[in-house]
Amino acid sequence: MNFEPTEDQNAFLGAVQRIADRHRSQSLNGERFQYSPMLQADLSDAGLFDCLGVEELGGVAAAEMVIALSQLPVCAEVAASTLVGPWLCPELPGPYAMLWGAERTARFLPEARTLLHVDAEGVQALALQPGDSTPVDSIFAYPMGVLRELPDAAWMSVVGADLARLHQCWRVGVAAEICGCLLAGLKSVVEHVTHRRQFGRPLGSFQALQHRLAECATLVQSARWLTLKAAETGHAGDASLAAGYAQDMARKVAYDLHQFMGAMGLTLEHPLHRWTYRTKLLSNDLGGWQRQYAAAARQAWPTRHPDKTQTHHDIEGATA
Amino acid sequence: MEFDWSPEQQTLRERVRALLQRELPPDWEVLSRHGPGSRQQTEFSLTFCPALAAEGLLVPHWPREWGGRDASAWEHFIIGEELWSAGEPRGAQYMNVNFIGQTIMRFGSDAQKMQHLPDMAAGRSIWCQGFSEPSAGSDLASLSTRAQRNGTDYVINGSKVWTSYAAMARHCFLLARTGGPGKGGIAIFLVPMDTPGITVRPIPSLIGTGDIHEVFFDDVVVPEETRMGEEGQAWPIIGYALSHERVGIARYAFSRSVLDRMVSLLQARGQFDDPVVQSQAGKALASCEAARLLVYRVVDQRTNGLPPSADSNVARVAVIAADNAVADFGLNYLADTFSGLDHPLHLSHHERAIAAGIASGAAEIQLNLVAHEYLHLPREARPA
Repeated sequence: MNFEPTEDQNAFLGAVQRIADRHRSQSLNGERFQYSPMLQADLSDAGLFDCLGVEELGGVAAAEMVIALSQLPVCAEVAASTLVGPWLCPELPGPYAMLWGAERTARFLPEARTLLHVDAEGVQALALQPGDSTPVDSIFAYPMGVLRELPDAAWMSVVGADLARLHQCWRVGVAAEICGCLLAGLKSVVEHVTHRRQFGRPLGSFQALQHRLAECATLVQSARWLTLKAAETGHAGDASLAAGYAQDMARKVAYDLHQFMGAMGLTLEHPLHRWTYRTKLLSNDLGGWQRQYAAAARQAWPTRHPDKTQTHHDIEGATA
Repeated sequence: MEFDWSPEQQTLRERVRALLQRELPPDWEVLSRHGPGSRQQTEFSLTFCPALAAEGLLVPHWPREWGGRDASAWEHFIIGEELWSAGEPRGAQYMNVNFIGQTIMRFGSDAQKMQHLPDMAAGRSIWCQGFSEPSAGSDLASLSTRAQRNGTDYVINGSKVWTSYAAMARHCFLLARTGGPGKGGIAIFLVPMDTPGITVRPIPSLIGTGDIHEVFFDDVVVPEETRMGEEGQAWPIIGYALSHERVGIARYAFSRSVLDRMVSLLQARGQFDDPVVQSQAGKALASCEAARLLVYRVVDQRTNGLPPSADSNVARVAVIAADNAVADFGLNYLADTFSGLDHPLHLSHHERAIAAGIASGAAEIQLNLVAHEYLHLPREARPA
């Protein structure tokens, strides 16, 4: 049991942080989202997306990288490029967009070079061409796109895709991204209520706010450590717990953060909405928190049916 | 980072489980249903703890000179997890090994160490904690029990309330006022409970037999040698003690073990295929495992020699949530098991869960500390 990153992990995260710091002060465009091709390129050029497969770095470095970069007001496609692409389809270039089951709308679709479609049968990949998707206005703080109807021949099958591993990695990615967004949101709200004075004193000195923010901090830290553990162990059950917990707490935390940012949080000039409106979409991935929790419960307490050699629900369908 | 146990730690865990298998009586679950403060469990602790001590499993984290073997905080924690999951057969003695012993070791006089530590290390010492008063609960610094100096003695007058384990305790870790108001006027006394003038009255409660009491001090005379630390210097010592107490109890481990039992029962009843039940079980599970990780992080910091921090308050908030998540799950899906005595663990878990956010400093005090010490929010102005 050791909760400190290794020297190698620290060095790697230092490199991630240096890139993040370069992009932290990018001027905000006053829109609901801000995709940064420069950030995407910097991460790719630095080779940081390959960390998962490096023995000295592994899942913890990958998850911490997602957490660190999700804290930026600008966004790049990090989770799939870090946790999925390098082992599932290393020959296909990122950024990636992911479509699950019957979905037609996906984040990062207008910017992605590869689309991965996952269902119970397996994974299909599409080398995206201009016009394959249409950017669409959305409340969510990502570049969102809708896929147009494409002939079956356009898709190629990702042979031997390990669906269980894909679910495990994606759950870690979703949980990590939620954690990063809410860590950044919480930090910005703490700063706001520390300096904003009403009734002759800082807003943050009122116990009504303090307790709820303290609860938010506890929830986010809980989710973060569940995520890091899931990233380190690679266990399906740990990943389901982390994703379920992160999705479950995200709505409450996002609500409180907006409450305490007040009208400033309703403006597009403050980046709070960037973080909270990413989590509002992430909270629905893979069916949302109830499905992750149910999956975690089945993984923790499998029901053995006497007429089956395999445990019930051992292998998840893609839409589990 | 690493979230696995070493082979040695796993062996230790199995050793503790084997000892529990050997030492716990067949009716242990019924016996432990009465709670760690009960006469039954206290008496049992006086045979169980010496057995634990004989195996080197009571105070392994203490220095060798006081009966330990300088083991890491992790060893002590693994033992604590296993024992608390089993319903805490150490009874009230868990307090000695979690924080009272360490506090005496660090702040006590040589004579106090000689007087108290060997008995604790041998497993034959029951303590109570004289903190809360009728007018000083969460606002502990306003306590009014007074210790008046009289030559080389002190005369103590006042009362304590909701005092766990007092009826069976041999000593009290007592806070009393020797000076003016506030934190700076408090001192700590290690008081034998058989000192004339001390009266203990049990308070019937929701949390087990003999768990909480009123303790009255009427002209209780104690020598100055019972004072630990200097007059007015108690507050940092209390902070040290509480930082160990906050995460010392592996409540999440007991909650997890009770949750496992609840799910087994639901499976046996054919009620666990319902996705709603599964989802709620997963939610309670996530709560337990989140609390476990936050507590482990504090233990890891302690192992690395870092000073106590607000991370222990964050952990405590999560631990309280975990206890309540499991208690709620039980009440939602197994309400029938909370009547009668067929499921004693459900009952004792429920009782511990309702106390989790109140004992050792209320949940709201923890939230205050998280707000101030962890988030560094500005403090609320206090009335002059």
